[in-house]
Amino acid sequence: MAKSMQELYEERMDRYWKANHLQKPDKVPFRPCAAELAGKIAGYTAQQVTHDPDLGLDAVVKMCQAVPGIDATVVNMVFVNTSVTESYGLKYYKVPGIDLDADDSFQYIEPQTEEDAFMKVEEYDRFIEDPNEFVMNVWLPRTSKYMVPPGEQNTWKNNLAWLKNGIAIQQYFQKLGANVARMQTETGTVSSLAGALKAPFDILADKFRGFRGIAYDLHRCPDKVLKATEAVAPHMAWNCIATADPSRKVPCSHWMHRGATGFFSEEVFEKFHWPTLKMVTEQIWEAGIQTIYYAEGKWARNLKHFRQLPEQSIIFHCDKDDIYEVKRVLGDRFAISGGVPNDMLAFGEPADVKKRVKQLITDFGPDGGYLLDAEAIMQQDVKVENFIAMAQACEEYGYI
Amino acid sequence: MQESKSVPGVCFPWEEKKKEYAEIKGDEEVVKAWWETYDVHAYVHLWFCVTGL
Repeated sequence: MAKSMQELYEERMDRYWKANHLQKPDKVPFRPCAAELAGKIAGYTAQQVTHDPDLGLDAVVKMCQAVPGIDATVVNMVFVNTSVTESYGLKYYKVPGIDLDADDSFQYIEPQTEEDAFMKVEEYDRFIEDPNEFVMNVWLPRTSKYMVPPGEQNTWKNNLAWLKNGIAIQQYFQKLGANVARMQTETGTVSSLAGALKAPFDILADKFRGFRGIAYDLHRCPDKVLKATEAVAPHMAWNCIATADPSRKVPCSHWMHRGATGFFSEEVFEKFHWPTLKMVTEQIWEAGIQTIYYAEGKWARNLKHFRQLPEQSIIFHCDKDDIYEVKRVLGDRFAISGGVPNDMLAFGEPADVKKRVKQLITDFGPDGGYLLDAEAIMQQDVKVENFIAMAQACEEYGYI
Repeated sequence: MQESKSVPGVCFPWEEKKKEYAEIKGDEEVVKAWWETYDVHAYVHLWFCVTGL
């Protein structure tokens, strides 16, 4: 007799939880992070899944229905909804269907000059003194075409922008919650994460100072950079915990950027990036929540530091590192995910994908603590037949 | 560790809001609870703009 959606969901949740906690489940879980690919499978353009929250979320449900064997996936891997950002005139995205072709992925635009930076170098002290005040009064108005800071002449566009920003984000949150329930009841699929952590150094580099700015600041005002990471860290931890899964069954996410080895030296990582990231990861773990370290790029040189974290506190997602080396360094303490190259998914054939999946499952499955995924977020360049092959291979070889 | 004026989870503290009232004739806890409910939402909303968008 066919399993009910609830039975399927519980089976998959059990499988997902065990693998995340370094245990050996009945089957290696397939946990794809599928972004524009979900739209491609559902028949939607990148513009539709990026700008229309209903279609973007519907695409994930349709993908789970069309591709059997997805144990857990992200409810909104196209994580920016550009109708929300356009509602208040956010400046730093190029939007598919407006600035880009309808089938291009959205793009983040980093300010190129100090004059355009969303936080100026002389503003560190104000930021450190009161991050809430800075975000509300300086950063948000500076990142919006319409919002004006206190002290400047008010406009109707400013008032409208705050109103629309509030409505759009609240509506989006409600839709996310409803779609998590849809995934469960209509497809028996687990929503793979809830809550998002940003490393304090990353948020400073990505959203406030920019890569160029922070690179200079590390030399011209290192103490202020360090104090800024410490000032913002409690907010990163609090927000992640507040928006995490209340049942504590699924992990939160940490999309890792500027600590990758290509950006800064190990000395910078050790002094500026790691201390506050370690602290907030431990706080989140103390609250009963695991964190997926989605390690975009290469991290090999810094892997050893992660061993300082409590056992099982993270799931390490491997992108461009050698997953066998990651397993050797971290595999006794943390679950590991990834392993299927995105270029293989884009340019290879289903037979290549099946062979790779079989190898990964053979090598990592018997120990437990392994989740099948691509190396990076899957966008519209992934061939649908290769994604299906990935799911099929996991079903065929994954019961170990 | 650097400390700042911002308290996680709070935009406009109840202690500040309470000063606006000459007197609360009924149950202060009801007023406080709902003030803080919306204040937390505003805080999460504010930081979502930074971290989630």
